Amino acid sequence: MAMRIWKVRSIVQHAGFIVMMYGGRFGVHLGSALPCFACPFVPGCGGYCYLMGLQGYIGFGMGAAAASGFGIGAALGWFAVFIILVALLGKLWCGWICPFGLIQDWLSALRRKLGVRERMISYPIARCLAWVKYALLAGIVIMPPLVTVGVLHEDFYLPFCGICPGKSLLPLFIGETRYLALNYDNWVTLGFSVALLTITGVMLVGMFFKDRFFCIFCPLLALIHILKPITALRLVKSPEACVGCGNCRRACPMEIEAVYRQRKSSDVQSDECLDCASCVEACPSDFALSINFLKFRLFRSSRNYVAELRRKKDERGR
Amino acid sequence: MNAADNMSRSPRALKIFKKTSERAEAEVRKNLESLTGREDYSPDFDYFIELCRGDSSPESIEARTGRAVMRLLCIQAPIELIHAAGFHPYKIASGSQAMTNLALQGLPALMCPMLRAVLGAVMGSESGEPSGVKPWILPTTCDWVVKFPEMLASSGTDCASVHWMELPHLKDGDSCQALWLESVFGLKKFLESLGARVSRKPIEDSIRIYNNAWRALSRLAMMRQEGRMANVWFTLIAGSFFLDSPERWTAAALSINPTPAARSSPKSARVFLAGSPIFFPNFKLLHLLEDAGISVVSDDLCSGERIFPGAVTCKDTSEFGMISALAQRYHQGCLCPTFIDNDRRINNILSRREVTDFHGVVFHVLKGCHPYDLESLGLEMKLKERGLKFLRLETDYAAEDSQNLRTRIEAYHGTLKG
Repeated sequence: MAMRIWKVRSIVQHAGFIVMMYGGRFGVHLGSALPCFACPFVPGCGGYCYLMGLQGYIGFGMGAAAASGFGIGAALGWFAVFIILVALLGKLWCGWICPFGLIQDWLSALRRKLGVRERMISYPIARCLAWVKYALLAGIVIMPPLVTVGVLHEDFYLPFCGICPGKSLLPLFIGETRYLALNYDNWVTLGFSVALLTITGVMLVGMFFKDRFFCIFCPLLALIHILKPITALRLVKSPEACVGCGNCRRACPMEIEAVYRQRKSSDVQSDECLDCASCVEACPSDFALSINFLKFRLFRSSRNYVAELRRKKDERGR
Repeated sequence: MNAADNMSRSPRALKIFKKTSERAEAEVRKNLESLTGREDYSPDFDYFIELCRGDSSPESIEARTGRAVMRLLCIQAPIELIHAAGFHPYKIASGSQAMTNLALQGLPALMCPMLRAVLGAVMGSESGEPSGVKPWILPTTCDWVVKFPEMLASSGTDCASVHWMELPHLKDGDSCQALWLESVFGLKKFLESLGARVSRKPIEDSIRIYNNAWRALSRLAMMRQEGRMANVWFTLIAGSFFLDSPERWTAAALSINPTPAARSSPKSARVFLAGSPIFFPNFKLLHLLEDAGISVVSDDLCSGERIFPGAVTCKDTSEFGMISALAQRYHQGCLCPTFIDNDRRINNILSRREVTDFHGVVFHVLKGCHPYDLESLGLEMKLKERGLKFLRLETDYAAEDSQNLRTRIEAYHGTLKG
């Protein structure tokens, strides 16, 4: 097997970063329903993260729908696009395309280069933290309608964007620093900007010391996972081929235990999984793990592949 | 021989050592001659043949590798860590029938022949003038390993220093894994107490070196699987791994060109070899299988494909990250029957079947190797349920049972063809 998945993934990630961050500057805009952190606060970006659309359409879309009937149609249209994109590529958006994911991978690479130890989160704590992303998703869905009906101040209209570290960090790549400043317009905006800076600081530290730290809390990952029953792309395990070496767990940026622990079912696509295929690449048991598109096996674990990967690494290490 | 003889290094003891060494050398010579006389002999194998022919005392290994030797008895201690500390991890194993006779007479009759031979070899080698302390790294795997220093001491041989690694026999629990990680860090501390410095870069280099060796071994395993290398050569090469520096061994293994296995044909029955390890020069079983027209295409012996875990993956390349990756790989990934929750052991055989398409499983039990012996029954039932023919062969290093084994193997071959 000549193709090295990690290299293809890296190329796709960097290409995705350029398109998502600068696409608009050369006429590419992929719409408002992208299942990744293509930040609308980056002028000239190549598409918008669906979370913004979701908040906007749920909130103001409902209000506009009441007035004109137009908002509902647009909301449903973008939702349909989002579903199609997720159904086709599933969490490949997270592991292979998301520009914020790539920034996290850069920080991890820097940590490894410096030889700094990665901080692990114990399995029980990780399971508890996994619920945070669902709580955030619930907030995204609940808060905008409360703005529409006047229960919440209007500056709560994009609640998640107000605290998303993507908003503060991604614009830096075009030299935009305004979201790192405090917003004194009113108490709500000040509160949001303080929260944003605090969360950004915490995330930067977390992302340096722990691979894909932000993804633990990402509500978009939660939303994509909810659509798991309709996604064509899956991580599949053949429990009878697994010898339990634990390479999958050690290679996983999210330290997912489920793949290692699963002894009966072939479904090992857990809610934290990013479909990055690191586990499949690291598994030395033939046929134990695979990435499938519907029933077609795209890539499977192989002892020969692992051996070939060692050869390449050895050549680089010399 | 009794302990007093050995302790006193009496003329009688020295005479026995000398005679036994001569017999052991003759055993090696005879086996190597039969190997070099084969049709599928290739000069590519010469390096490994010379390693097996040569002196395998720790002193000569030290001279060959340029590193102080750290003696091991099984594959459970992370060799990468020992190598990173500047030592050469030397797993001592012997298949010599002559050496089993050298061990104390008072030892249990049904004792693991491999450890009995090692006892004999160590007693023999230390009858002369040991050139320094060669520590033993002993994880608490099977009972024979645990009692080994005691048996060595009873025979009057000083076991120098022993560093024990407490091996939890459960693999999956968090507490077991934490305990084993502690044992691995204990090994690091022990190595550092000898003046070595174990830091990130040498660990990273050692992991790379042994991963590369694993790649070379995998290439040979693939050649064997495809019938381009006979199993006896594969076992000889794998068994010589600890006799030289891993870099030299790897380079030699990677330079081997495929040689069609002499006695295999498209009609040969293909089997998977499981169970107790097989060490040179005791290739009795391998020759008997070959003679019966059975090709071993894969194995899970800790003297074969499992001679070291290899394929260690760690995304966290800090010192802690790499040491914990090693600890996990050596513990959770190990298929040794001494573990309690070893139900995934069968998966290795089944997954190999997907790629090698063998017809049956031959399970080798060394007399006295109780963990493998106990495991064979459960494994037999599970494999038969999946349509694989199973043959359990219990033997030792003696040649007397060869005819009996031959009859059983030939009968088994008949069932494979059917």
